Amino acid sequence: MIQHIDVHAVLQEFVSGVYADLVTRPTGRVVREGIERVMASAAGDVAITRIDFTGVGCIDYSCADEIVAKLLRHRPAVLVLMGVSDGHREAIEPVLAGHRLAALIERSDGTLEAIGAPEVAMALLAELVERRLAAPTPGGTFALSQ
Amino acid sequence: MTRLVEVPSQFDDRSFDQFAGAFAEATKDGERLLFDAHAAEWASPYGLVGLLAAGQAARGAGGAERPLLTAPTQSDVLTYWTRAGFFRAAAELFEIHGKLPRAKPAEDSDVLLPVTPVRAAEDVHEVVSNIQQRASAILASELGLDPKATMGFAMALSEACQNIVEHAGTGGWVAVQAYHWRRKLAKRVVVIAVADAGVGFRHSLEPTQSKRFGERWGDAAALEAALIQGVSRFRDPGRGQGLAGIRRYLARWDGKIAIRSGTARIAIVPKWDDDVPLKDGLPAFPGAQVLIIIPEQGTTKQ
Repeated sequence: MIQHIDVHAVLQEFVSGVYADLVTRPTGRVVREGIERVMASAAGDVAITRIDFTGVGCIDYSCADEIVAKLLRHRPAVLVLMGVSDGHREAIEPVLAGHRLAALIERSDGTLEAIGAPEVAMALLAELVERRLAAPTPGGTFALSQ
Repeated sequence: MTRLVEVPSQFDDRSFDQFAGAFAEATKDGERLLFDAHAAEWASPYGLVGLLAAGQAARGAGGAERPLLTAPTQSDVLTYWTRAGFFRAAAELFEIHGKLPRAKPAEDSDVLLPVTPVRAAEDVHEVVSNIQQRASAILASELGLDPKATMGFAMALSEACQNIVEHAGTGGWVAVQAYHWRRKLAKRVVVIAVADAGVGFRHSLEPTQSKRFGERWGDAAALEAALIQGVSRFRDPGRGQGLAGIRRYLARWDGKIAIRSGTARIAIVPKWDDDVPLKDGLPAFPGAQVLIIIPEQGTTKQ
């Protein structure tokens, strides 16, 4: 089963209804805890959690660390990031590399891209294929199987 | 008795040490201070937020009486300081003398972000939200930055402001402005200035870093640890990302960062600038003052 978590909705519910940006460490902490709460409340076996950043404005390094890096370090399921803009990547990629972590980004066409520490990213993609959660596409990329 | 602190007529990061020297001398005996800006001809955002930090420190040290401030007498200077939001912030700190214009802080000019107080995470949210609305056009069309750079700019601004919230132990101010920098570059630049009169980098990092540096420990070593080595007072391995992220952003856009704290100043100096990377033994000034400059893209005068 794939669980979908709307980060913008979590931000608005747990922090403020008017904020669109993921900035400052306290905000990141509250949003991560909100995401963890949503993850914990899922019914059934969750193999993949889609963390959807659509609607989020700016992400700073502190929030990228507090949300993405910490979720990945304690991941209960495979995390796939979606709705990630070039600006979001600017914050997320160096934070992941700094921690020697990797994450999968699901592009708008459904293909997957691994970002972060290269060897960890390759291992992550291989793990998904091995668990039949992702499969190669005719275009030479990978996509989620479900 | 009142001690006089003269505000340099051209008040920016270059003349700040002169101002800090006068401030350090005047605060020796705890008397009330008079900041005299009547002859000011120009002030950069760094000068304006630095003056507020001095007022904050003087107010903290001087007991019940607020320090005095003589406003500039030149009407265009006075108007600019007002449009930049300086007097709105200064009214809380100083007893201001001089006739102030009624102009509101600018909303349609090169003042991308008027002087804005930063005390808590909520203030950083406001700053980031406001700057994204106002800065994207200037960054892309006037500075030739990729439109994607706007978000990086907001990130850098956010991290610079968070240093106050997380480390200063008090509030501070931020201001962002675009202007034509004839003297140095003959180009347009966007400048972020952030200042506080809090505990400073040395005090913040002392519990975790002083032993490592041994006898070298001081303001310069603390700045080096924070900006060059990316260390933080927190033991969480994810900390220290902010300044490292700012450095990456500035490296991509040929920008500059300089941080002054206590008696030292450190800078990442791009090719177009002749600043020195590290200065120590400067006149003591409380807190931290951060300057970030992003130049118009293209060939730069060196």
